[in-house]
Amino acid sequence: MIQFAVRRIIGMIPILLIITIIAFLFVHLTPGDPIRIMYGAELDQETYQTLRAKEGFDQPLIVQYGTYMYNILVQGDFGSSYRTKTEVSSEIMRRFGFTFTLTMLAMFWAILIGIFVGIISATKRNTVWDRLGMVSAITALSVPEFWFGLMVMQIFAVQLGWFPTSGSGTFAHIFLPSITLGFGVAATIVRFTRSSVLEVMREDYVRTARAKGQKESVVVWSHVLRNALIPVVTMTGLQFGFLIGGAVVVEQVFAWPGLGSYLVDSILARDYPVIQALILLFSFQFLVVNLLVDISYGFLNPQIRYD
Amino acid sequence: MQRQLRKKSKAKWMMQYLLLICLLILAACSSNTTSNNSTNTQPDQNTNENNTEEAAEASGELTVGIEAEPTSLDPFNSTDGNSATVQSTMFEGFLRFDEKMNLVPVLATEYNFNEDATEITFTLQQGVKFHDGTDFNAEVAKENLDFVRDAENGLARASFFSFISEVTVNDEYSITIKSEEPNSAMASYMAHSSASFKSTEELKKKKDDTDYNLDRNPVGTGPFRFQEWKDSEQIVVTKNENYWNTQEEPKVDSITFLPIVEASTRVNKLKTGEVDVIFPIPTLNAKELEQEENVDLYVGSSTNVFYIGMNFKEEKYNDLKVRQAMNHAVDKDGLIAQIADGYAQVADSAIAPAVYGYAGQSVYEHDKELAKELLKEAGMEEGFKATLWTRNTTEFVSVAEYVAIQLKEIGIDVEVQAFESGTLFEMLDAGEETDLWIGRWSPGTGEADYGLRPNFASDRVPPNFNNSGFYINEELDGLFDDALRTPDQDQALSIYADIQMKIYEDAPWVFLHIPDTIIAKGKDVNGIYVLPSGGVHLNLVEKQ
Repeated sequence: MIQFAVRRIIGMIPILLIITIIAFLFVHLTPGDPIRIMYGAELDQETYQTLRAKEGFDQPLIVQYGTYMYNILVQGDFGSSYRTKTEVSSEIMRRFGFTFTLTMLAMFWAILIGIFVGIISATKRNTVWDRLGMVSAITALSVPEFWFGLMVMQIFAVQLGWFPTSGSGTFAHIFLPSITLGFGVAATIVRFTRSSVLEVMREDYVRTARAKGQKESVVVWSHVLRNALIPVVTMTGLQFGFLIGGAVVVEQVFAWPGLGSYLVDSILARDYPVIQALILLFSFQFLVVNLLVDISYGFLNPQIRYD
Repeated sequence: MQRQLRKKSKAKWMMQYLLLICLLILAACSSNTTSNNSTNTQPDQNTNENNTEEAAEASGELTVGIEAEPTSLDPFNSTDGNSATVQSTMFEGFLRFDEKMNLVPVLATEYNFNEDATEITFTLQQGVKFHDGTDFNAEVAKENLDFVRDAENGLARASFFSFISEVTVNDEYSITIKSEEPNSAMASYMAHSSASFKSTEELKKKKDDTDYNLDRNPVGTGPFRFQEWKDSEQIVVTKNENYWNTQEEPKVDSITFLPIVEASTRVNKLKTGEVDVIFPIPTLNAKELEQEENVDLYVGSSTNVFYIGMNFKEEKYNDLKVRQAMNHAVDKDGLIAQIADGYAQVADSAIAPAVYGYAGQSVYEHDKELAKELLKEAGMEEGFKATLWTRNTTEFVSVAEYVAIQLKEIGIDVEVQAFESGTLFEMLDAGEETDLWIGRWSPGTGEADYGLRPNFASDRVPPNFNNSGFYINEELDGLFDDALRTPDQDQALSIYADIQMKIYEDAPWVFLHIPDTIIAKGKDVNGIYVLPSGGVHLNLVEKQ
């Protein structure tokens, strides 16, 4: 397992290097001039050229890329934001905490509700519980996050006054955004869990367990779930990978200071250093989450080998 | 029996699950779990760990919901309205605008032009101190103006002050700003929010260490001083206890600015009382807030003008009749009613009534038949195809689509193409494939020269300038210069009226509408006023 993990981590290096090149070209070749966007329409040529030179835009792309990579690899410096004039790395670190907390709590709700409802739907197949679970899941998948967020805000913050409408700082602040972010993922987990459990329940070893007179709860929780959860874990890991990139819509609706809103603002301002750093970070997160998902299979089912 | 037991254990399991959910919800409803903020639905308190004083009365703290985070707290280095609003609580200049865009003295007690309007001399207020305790005087003002004009410093507002050729200190409290060309708009330029002064100690720090961040260290003379900026969370300014202007001492202990991108969230935050003031407000949300009992809506005319620009490199727009036809084709009243929810007025000039030097013209009435007739006279009875570029925001796209439908009715087949704003600017700057585009312009200086010259002067064509239609009119160029050169304000106003008449008649734009500035505040908040330019003056705000 250790060998497998080390091999995978070493394999990440060339991938990340390729991503830096793609990200660099992607942001520099996108139409839109950060200086014009920042300073508006009435910028005389002299100031414009001074600002371009100050940011190094007058250099060939290859030189700009070289400088960028040198600063990262030698000095650990991802540059400063054009827009906010702060160090990109420290800003990302600060916001990462917000995004990570929000994502973890959203995933907690999603897993809690998703797996529970999924199991109920599968074990009570074709009953009213199953239909209720599936209708709820499809509804949750169909409702736009934006609308759902505004609805829970309207009900629980504006009408009932139980929670603050937006912002950050307390658990009360994170509750509504995490529920909003988690509900769509929960619906996906419900459907995955249900189909996966149904599939495993048809296996011979489950029939054997039942024939031995084991309680249904023991059959489901000990025999069925272990194998049924493998695809669910894969899918949940992927969802987590997506969410940790910052939930743009939820962050905007609830004024949550995470990475998603940072990325959107930076793209609009063509804030190259921020966009590049965030693309690199999201890619790295995705690779790490995938690795953790693969490793977790072994814990779910010790028969799985990493050869 | 076995089945009953199984049922019982399942019921027990479900009860435990429900209990867990209830506990979590209760935990969520519980009070503060971190040291950062206040509890539940109270506005965020300031969080400076060094501040050992007890929190002030709630009435002494104002919370403002703004559309976006400022880009900088250095007036010399930002061009957006959010930055200007926050900065104006901490910084002051010689002059400022009041709600009618009149000039009001601040750090200057008076100003005088010389005879040919090449010099403006300010007499300065005495006894003014910066937040760091240093004195404000003519030498400080000169150092500031020299600093911003130095292209090496690469400041966003360098070009704004490019009209200045020299700054001379006459004595400790008198300073003269000189311009190569006569320039009667100099006073308005010096009333702009970017013409604000910072402590020379800060300039010295920047000169000694180029990495020193002036954007994050605002030290002005204003009624509030900087306390903290937590990125994307809040900016807090607190009362300046040593404010020089005893007549206008701040009436709240602190102002907290919260960046809230989503308009509906800003509105909800105002409804729950978590914030006291919000702006800007989309027209649809304004309609909703009109019904709220505890909310006051402020609606005033802005200095923005919406227009459709046309590229004069395209032959079809060189015929005046075509341009007139397009102006007659668009139902401006309908646009205001349907798209702006009534919160706008018809643009009867290339600048808004709130701009100094405005002169209203006779509006192009909506008349489809006349428009068709004019197209026929121009030899374009069959109409033509056109492409209309717009920003991809809801407001702009709605206007574009409305205009396209109207033009279609007279045979002009308009294809609307929406672009993200950065891409659109680049396309307009390139000036190669421009046909029609939707623009919105507001002169930050609040006067006619900055409202007209950037859009209609021959030397303001792309790249990097706003005359994206390549509109060349030498007669206007001469008049722009004449108006600026005239120290006699009445004469200048008459020239600007002439310019506006010529522009309106020549119709280089399809003149659309002037959107209202809308802000909302709790009924317990008084003493704020909104500038037509969109900035909000919070220095005298009171909270009961």
